[in-house]
Amino acid sequence: MKNLDRYGYYFIAPFWIIFLVFNIYPVALTLYYSFTNYNGSGTSEVVGFANYARLITDSYFLEAFVNTWKIWGINFALQIAIALILAAIFSDLRVKMKGLSFFRAIFYLPNLITVSSVALLFGILLDWQHGSLNLVLLNLGLISEPINWLNEPATAQLSVSLILTWMWFGHSFIVVMAGVSGISRDYYEAALIDGANRWQTFSKITLPLLKPILLYIMITSLIGGLQLFDLPMLLTDGIGSPEGSLNTMVLYLYNQAFKYNNYGYAAAVAYGLFIITVIFSAIVFKSMYRDQKKQARQV
Amino acid sequence: MKKIMGFVMSLVVLIGVLAGCSDSESSSGSGDAKGEKKVDLKIWSFTDELKKPIKKFEEKNGVKVELTIVPIADYPTKLKPVLDSGVGAPDVFTGEIAFLKQWVDAGYWENLSADPYNADKISDKYIPYVFDLGKDSEGNVRALSWQTTPGGIYYKRSIAKEVLGTDNPDEVGEMLSSMDKVFEVAEKMKEKGYRMFPDEGAIRWFSQGDNPQAWVNENNDLKLTDQKIEFMDYAKKLRKNNYTALAGEWSPSWFEAMDKPIKVKENGKETETQVFSYVLPTWGLHSVLKTNVKESAGDWAVTNGPSPYFWGGTWLGVYNKSKNKELAYDFVKMMTQDDEFLTDWAKETGDVLSYLPVTSKIKDDFSDEFLGGQNNYKFFLDQAKKIEPGIVTKYDQQLDTLYGNAVKDYVDGKKTKDEAVKEFYRQAKNAYPELNVPKK
Amino acid sequence: MLERSEINNPAPGKLSNTSLLPDEIKIKKRRSIVKGIIYILLTLLAIVCFIPFLMMLVNATRSNDAILTGFTLVPGSSLIENYHTMMDYVNIWNGFKNSLIISVSVTVLTGYFSALTAYGFAFYKFKGKNFLFVFMLVMMMVPGQLGLIGFYELSKTLGILDTFIPLIVPAVASPFVVFFLRQYIQTTLHPSLIEAARIDGASEWKIFHTVAIPIMMPAIATMSIFTFIGSWNNYIMPLVILFSPEKYTLPVLMGFLKGSQVAQNLGSMYLGIAISVVPIMIAFLFLSKYIVNSISAGAIKE
Repeated sequence: MKNLDRYGYYFIAPFWIIFLVFNIYPVALTLYYSFTNYNGSGTSEVVGFANYARLITDSYFLEAFVNTWKIWGINFALQIAIALILAAIFSDLRVKMKGLSFFRAIFYLPNLITVSSVALLFGILLDWQHGSLNLVLLNLGLISEPINWLNEPATAQLSVSLILTWMWFGHSFIVVMAGVSGISRDYYEAALIDGANRWQTFSKITLPLLKPILLYIMITSLIGGLQLFDLPMLLTDGIGSPEGSLNTMVLYLYNQAFKYNNYGYAAAVAYGLFIITVIFSAIVFKSMYRDQKKQARQV
Repeated sequence: MKKIMGFVMSLVVLIGVLAGCSDSESSSGSGDAKGEKKVDLKIWSFTDELKKPIKKFEEKNGVKVELTIVPIADYPTKLKPVLDSGVGAPDVFTGEIAFLKQWVDAGYWENLSADPYNADKISDKYIPYVFDLGKDSEGNVRALSWQTTPGGIYYKRSIAKEVLGTDNPDEVGEMLSSMDKVFEVAEKMKEKGYRMFPDEGAIRWFSQGDNPQAWVNENNDLKLTDQKIEFMDYAKKLRKNNYTALAGEWSPSWFEAMDKPIKVKENGKETETQVFSYVLPTWGLHSVLKTNVKESAGDWAVTNGPSPYFWGGTWLGVYNKSKNKELAYDFVKMMTQDDEFLTDWAKETGDVLSYLPVTSKIKDDFSDEFLGGQNNYKFFLDQAKKIEPGIVTKYDQQLDTLYGNAVKDYVDGKKTKDEAVKEFYRQAKNAYPELNVPKK
Repeated sequence: MLERSEINNPAPGKLSNTSLLPDEIKIKKRRSIVKGIIYILLTLLAIVCFIPFLMMLVNATRSNDAILTGFTLVPGSSLIENYHTMMDYVNIWNGFKNSLIISVSVTVLTGYFSALTAYGFAFYKFKGKNFLFVFMLVMMMVPGQLGLIGFYELSKTLGILDTFIPLIVPAVASPFVVFFLRQYIQTTLHPSLIEAARIDGASEWKIFHTVAIPIMMPAIATMSIFTFIGSWNNYIMPLVILFSPEKYTLPVLMGFLKGSQVAQNLGSMYLGIAISVVPIMIAFLFLSKYIVNSISAGAIKE
């Protein structure tokens, strides 16, 4: 049987050939730029680690780091909570909710629109004086003064988080449901017969068996979240107003590269972000797998 | 199980069909290209403004021109790799003021000062600042423009008559000829229940005051003049005294206030008010006011502010690796130096031209219904000639934005003046490490 | 299917609706109230998600002036006019065809090769496997914005600029999808199934195609939705790679419209967006149904 393992290489070969050419080569080129003062055109000099030295003392990058985490964190907590609640509702054999495919399709709709249209739409909705959101809140008597959502750091960040949640909870829901559908019904039926309540069923069967899928959601959302930039860019002036609160790491990278033409430095920012992402992904992996081991011991 | 196999089978078939499809697609695609009429000239721009001129050019020369439009936000992204490599590149491409100064020095545009173009010979036929902007750092002409985009203050005649006793643009202009005078008018407006401007940003074009200087001088020193710092106080005063309607530029309320009374909150009370004036350039008339104003059309006029300014503008030049430079320059020549064409163009679009031989002939016959019959053409030409050439740098677009944010933070009360200025210096240095910034 | 809740009930035997015990009625009643509340909440959520689409569809039928006056749910009468305004400028159906060719190819390539790669990673032991997998994950974390210029230069070197190749072929390597499929197949496909097939004399390729792919199908379909939509909405790549207007995809054409006078006519812009969104809505509904079907198909098999 052992000789069959060479098939492993055959199976992954096409992926790696294409990956090497179309992904790794451009990325390697960026690595080279990060050691130069390339400004987007003309010649450049190699400057060693100067760009990286600048990066670790750059307070704007630190600010962007903190902002990105705040915006992504709130969004992720909400998004995953909604997705799990929905999954719990639809996988509950006792309630037997109908219309899964209908709701799943509708909830996913916000993800179909391009980000630029989303930004346009919410720009109108959140408008300080004439936006529908303030009008509704005023009429309901929830607020007495219109809130200038995109002019205060806290509300601006919260707005972006909530828009992201709106865009992505349907996506997470679909992925979670795909995972749930992979869980054999026998488990649930057995749980029913044993008289387990909803919470027990969910926390003892669904969650543990969903772990690989949840890991996937965590990692991809983390990677996507740390690369957040188009929404903050389009909602305000594109350089992170108000008071730099929407300045995210990739927005900063983008502005350094394409607005200020500091390609070399932008490449260093890209690699700084890369290292941060790797570190936090590793932490997520570690903690998820440690949990799994713990659980295995408990059982 | 059958269903799944069925799906897999259909997938396999689909792959086959598509593979076949895309094969025939590419071969028939190239076949089409050969069969079609050959494209003689490729032009890239960020608007469809050039569509009609291109048609004319095609008829005149019996050639085929292909116009590619890329939205302005993606224009530099799309152009850069193409111009660097020369693959699929245009023969002629336009540049907007926002990136013009970078591009004239990037070496993409042909040097028009050299033979056979000798563009310097015609320099005195243009509005000075427009011609000057198309030059690179060594003084060679790289791009030319057919238009000039000076600005003014558009105001509503009926309100002017009621509050100021006159709607005559010259007289109103006199009342707005300095910042202090502007505030006098603003106070009068407020007394009668009107608002001078939609928002504080409106007066940013007058921020340089009577001391116009480049943001960055030849030694790479960042110059924040006293006048520009003073401007912070003007902006704050506008806000504090409720001279504006708090309708930020390009926001829905900003557009709404052009034509209708809008509601403004003041000391917790909601009041209805009208905005007196908008600070906009030449194109603001055609593509902003006219498209958004219905009821008050004809009730508008344009006059000068405390200092002349310009906003926007499109230049065009020949790509230096073009294989068809002669024809390419012919097009540039038609757009910028052809008397007959430019006369028609100006009359048709109302575009204010920078080419003096034509403007001096036609400027006296203009009048615009929207502006109550005012000859805005003449007004704008006068303004354009007053604009100081040589103070535009490649940093302007970004520095203006950064400084605008600093002013806003001060006006909103989020920062003191010193803090705002300090933060501006810090951000400028971060964006452009090569600049020398005062260490305060 | 049996009403599972009845199994849980102490009452023996089958119950007809007319002879419910009092306890049973109470539970059923409470359950239906809870259900009602849940449905109301779900519907509210659905409305929040659907409103922007409604606005878009309604606005596509209204004239520019009408749109500027505010929002309404009553369709206007300018649909045909908007259509002609738009078609004067761009041939949107040609863009549609281009987008379709690219997106379908990308989806098929991604689905097939990702399944292949995920299977290779999950069920074979070979040297460097863990390293390669981790390396792939790590490469997902590189921010893409800066790779653009390198990618362009690469395409230029290979002589494939202004073709669909740089937009389609890289789909063979989609780390996110491989990652998802590997996670999925680890929980759903038991190695004993593969061993059984091997003992039956099936070749490795045959096992992959007849055993692994069917089991992975719900996951592949799920990922295909995302792949298709991602490719359909992809803007910056085709913008940079394609030069010939007849090869433009829908998003690039929409950008083209934004720079033209059509942008002044919001109705036409909305119509253009609607034409580019509605097909993916339909494609999505179709695929979504397919996932449900494949799940029940899996259940029948057992």
